[in-house]
Amino acid sequence: MNKKIGVYICHCGGNISDYVDVEKVKESIETDEGVFLAKTTMFACGDANQKEMVDDIKKNELDGVVVASCSPKLHLLTFRAVTERAGLNKYNYVHANIREQASWAHSDDKPGATETAIHLVKAAIAKVRLAEPLYPFIINSKKAVAVIGGGIAGLRAAIELADMGCPVTIIEREHFVGGRVAQWDVLFTTNETGKEVVTKLYNEVIRHDNIKLLTGAEVISNTGSIGDFTMKIKVTPRYIKEKCNEGHLLKAIAVCPVDVPDEFNFNITGRKAIYHNFPSEYPQTPVIDIKNCTRCGECEKICPSVDFSQKEEILEINVGSVLMATGFDSYTPADGEFGYNQFENVITLPQFKRIIDLNDKKLIFRGKEINKIAYIYCVGSRQIDGENKYCSRYCCTSVIYAAMQAKHKFNEINNYHFNRGIRTYGKQEVLYAESLKGGDIYLQSYEDAPPTVEQHNDKITIRINDILTAKKEMSVEADLVVLVTGMVPRADNSVASLFKLPKGRDKFFNEIHMKLRPVETVIDGITICGACQGPKNIMESVNSALSAAIKSFSYVSKGELELEPIIAKIDKDLCTWSGTCAEACPFDAIKMVKDEKKDVAAINNSVCKGCGMCLPVCPSNAINLIAYSDNEIESMIDALAG
Amino acid sequence: MHGKIMNASFDALVIGGGIAGGEAALNLANNGFKVLIVEKDLSIGGKMILLSKVFPTLDCSACITTPKVSEISRHPGITIFTGSEVKSISRKSETSFEAVVIKTPRYVIGEDCTGCQLCEQACPVLVHDQFQYNLVGRKAAYIPFSIASPRVAAIDIENCTLCGACEKVCPTKCIDFTQEEEEYCIDVKTVIIATGFNLFDPLKIPRYGYGTYKNIITSMQMERQLAPTRPFNTILRPGDGKVPDRIAYVLCTGSRDMTVGNPICSQICCMYSIKQAQLLMGALPMADVTIYYINIRSFGKGFEEFYDQAKGMGVNFVKGKIGKITENENGNLNLRYEDINENVVRESEHDLVVLSVGVLPNTDSKALFHDGDLKLDPFSFVDQADPLASPSKTSIDGVFVAGTATGPMDIPDSILSAGASSAEAISYLNRRL
Repeated sequence: MNKKIGVYICHCGGNISDYVDVEKVKESIETDEGVFLAKTTMFACGDANQKEMVDDIKKNELDGVVVASCSPKLHLLTFRAVTERAGLNKYNYVHANIREQASWAHSDDKPGATETAIHLVKAAIAKVRLAEPLYPFIINSKKAVAVIGGGIAGLRAAIELADMGCPVTIIEREHFVGGRVAQWDVLFTTNETGKEVVTKLYNEVIRHDNIKLLTGAEVISNTGSIGDFTMKIKVTPRYIKEKCNEGHLLKAIAVCPVDVPDEFNFNITGRKAIYHNFPSEYPQTPVIDIKNCTRCGECEKICPSVDFSQKEEILEINVGSVLMATGFDSYTPADGEFGYNQFENVITLPQFKRIIDLNDKKLIFRGKEINKIAYIYCVGSRQIDGENKYCSRYCCTSVIYAAMQAKHKFNEINNYHFNRGIRTYGKQEVLYAESLKGGDIYLQSYEDAPPTVEQHNDKITIRINDILTAKKEMSVEADLVVLVTGMVPRADNSVASLFKLPKGRDKFFNEIHMKLRPVETVIDGITICGACQGPKNIMESVNSALSAAIKSFSYVSKGELELEPIIAKIDKDLCTWSGTCAEACPFDAIKMVKDEKKDVAAINNSVCKGCGMCLPVCPSNAINLIAYSDNEIESMIDALAG
Repeated sequence: MHGKIMNASFDALVIGGGIAGGEAALNLANNGFKVLIVEKDLSIGGKMILLSKVFPTLDCSACITTPKVSEISRHPGITIFTGSEVKSISRKSETSFEAVVIKTPRYVIGEDCTGCQLCEQACPVLVHDQFQYNLVGRKAAYIPFSIASPRVAAIDIENCTLCGACEKVCPTKCIDFTQEEEEYCIDVKTVIIATGFNLFDPLKIPRYGYGTYKNIITSMQMERQLAPTRPFNTILRPGDGKVPDRIAYVLCTGSRDMTVGNPICSQICCMYSIKQAQLLMGALPMADVTIYYINIRSFGKGFEEFYDQAKGMGVNFVKGKIGKITENENGNLNLRYEDINENVVRESEHDLVVLSVGVLPNTDSKALFHDGDLKLDPFSFVDQADPLASPSKTSIDGVFVAGTATGPMDIPDSILSAGASSAEAISYLNRRL
């Protein structure tokens, strides 16, 4: 039983003290059993107060500490660290949340907010009286990281991890690396081509002995947790020998009779069943798309490198941390959305970018030369009725740049931008200015009156009530309509469910805290970066990739990790293995084991999060949560109800 | 005239102790490297520590900055010089730089100061408080602000009358007028530039009348009025102390404006204005808040939803750039603008105008490098040598850049950029050690 307790009640500037009478809270608790000193402070988390707390604890030999302030999500760790610096076991610290739970919740009722705060602090004091020192588990952490996704973010993160001295496995679902960036031609702001950027990174990857690149590879299972993830990976073969003769291969591609839509070109062209996306793509060996291959054997006759005997492999890898860089899909408009799949010459922005790349001198689409191009913005983003409320961030700049490229590369191009307010944020603004100067026409509407697309006798007409010219109806007859489609989460995100990664309102992966922990997830040991977290441009993706790399590195660099000791504990004598606890556990932390005489539940210490879901479902009350025993909780309830 | 030159060596020099510099320093120190942070101001924490709440999560900014600041300041691998400036950096060898750092005297022995503020009470001098953006005054002997780190007094020697009142009351006798400027010669292997940004000075747009009309403030001044360490405990207009009830925001003040030589968008003003508008609706439920804009750029994660939330709360958004502001006898202001929706020129009256000032480069870092080889971009931000594949690389090998030193960005982007620069710095150090 702790008898010398220090209690600190925080004003939080005015966040708490505007509604809670903190002096009254102090007076109400300072004579409670065990309370040795009670203080109020302007900012408990401030450096000066932290120093004062350390001095108080040392000088008075306090054995329990309570801070009543904001949510423990923000500052539990801060004050545990303070306690530890003062030489006291950090689990002798208890946090009372009187901001989110008292002052902010009851800002209309100051006496009530104060009363609630007093009870919350009393409950925390009751708990700290019973607190006992606890010690973290030390687990081994395998010095290796798996990077899932071999696009720009994944490649870049892998290189940085390897540079920092960490072995990396890149797991790429496609047979070629580079992701979306490989699909783009010239890039803003540097005018490098996507291929050049990918080449640069691929060469770095190959140079590193520390990086293992798996293509055609998918994670099919995951067991374990931070420090020790074991994954099974299915690797589909290329059906082509590694050392192949390029001349023969080109002939083999030529004779293949299969024609399927080419996803690399967003289905505007076809490709063979034996293919590469472009010459010298990485890895440079082409691949046979076995799902669409008819096994006619024509390629085999011409090219000895074709090898249908190659087998699918299942690999197992063990890593300490997983870095997710699985990227995004482009929004696919619904049939009839601005004429998509209804009129021939209505395409999406990614398709348009491929067409620019594929054409030379003249911009030809479906056999006709294109001169007038209309761009309709915010398709699939900022939806009023649809699910995607968010702005896709990259598209304004991307389409303006693509429109300029088209003008630059082909003759007599006229661009008409049907936008909802241009968002070329930051330095990208100069691109917009340049586009205006170059004669591009911008017409704007609000979300409630989008432009319309009609087709009469082969002519497509786009109409808008342009708010920049007093809502006058304007119309443009265009040869091509480009729907500026935004970013959406990957349709196949099954890899995320293997790791139980949480998603946000926008269905992209969610970080723990946008500002304090922007690349970490609630699943310990798993970091996220790039556009799987939300729309980003290339530079932003790379910045987040490097941040995720350093974070993943910190999980594995020391070879061991300290884990929180507040977890569930099974009383083997009471346990009769009903299995209900294992069903209730959201983290798969409970397994049945054979004890001497009977089956009992066992907790995996490094997976258990101490959430407490298993406790109430146990029919024999055989589970306790360390630091939240029945005894502690009951004493808190008594204090709250008192 | 200064004291002797002192020598020291570190693995990394981080210039600027704002959120980006602090984050980069922590990453380096947590990986076992010795870091020196040189901060020009008297406290670390940069601009973020002075903000109210942050968009779009509405976290209290002080509450999420102070633990970071505290972690930085007590990290055994991090040394901090506040009130100090890097005078020059030159390459000493293939693997090292020599930095000359000047530490200006605080005239207070930091280790002995308890932050009791008795000196502040005794000091008879009253000057503008720069940390409250001149909304209120402070003394010549003062603690920079309540959550400053270090929370140690300083003497503003330019305004001090040397009356000695502070010395007499100081219980620990830590005031020391004999302190001199110190010069350090510091050997470092890598440098991270995290010098942040400057705010646009609205005096450069005379037609808005800032500085002449009393009830026009900058967004940073509004930020201070909304912060937990706010000067007034409510929102007041400076002219007469009246609580305003018709507040206007003028977006793009000093941004996207060639008349002041700044063609770029500042990336943060739309969102901080929308945030302030929401906080004002909470603080002054009866007030009308109008935001005058060219385009609303709510482009980041959760931003568009935040903008929708503001519209739902009743914030009035008007598409139109403010041309001119004039003052009425009662101190109210008339804003003249083209109402784009209605295609007419209008005037509207407000009792407080907030200028949403933009982000300008802090060009201090240009002069640091003796060889003159730190390249700046066309807008005078630090140039990124390889923006797509290695965004934190500068034109000098071994010198990296973090946060708004490269251009406008919000807090999450600054932190990600700081993460990137520290990752690159660690790889650089690994390659060379």
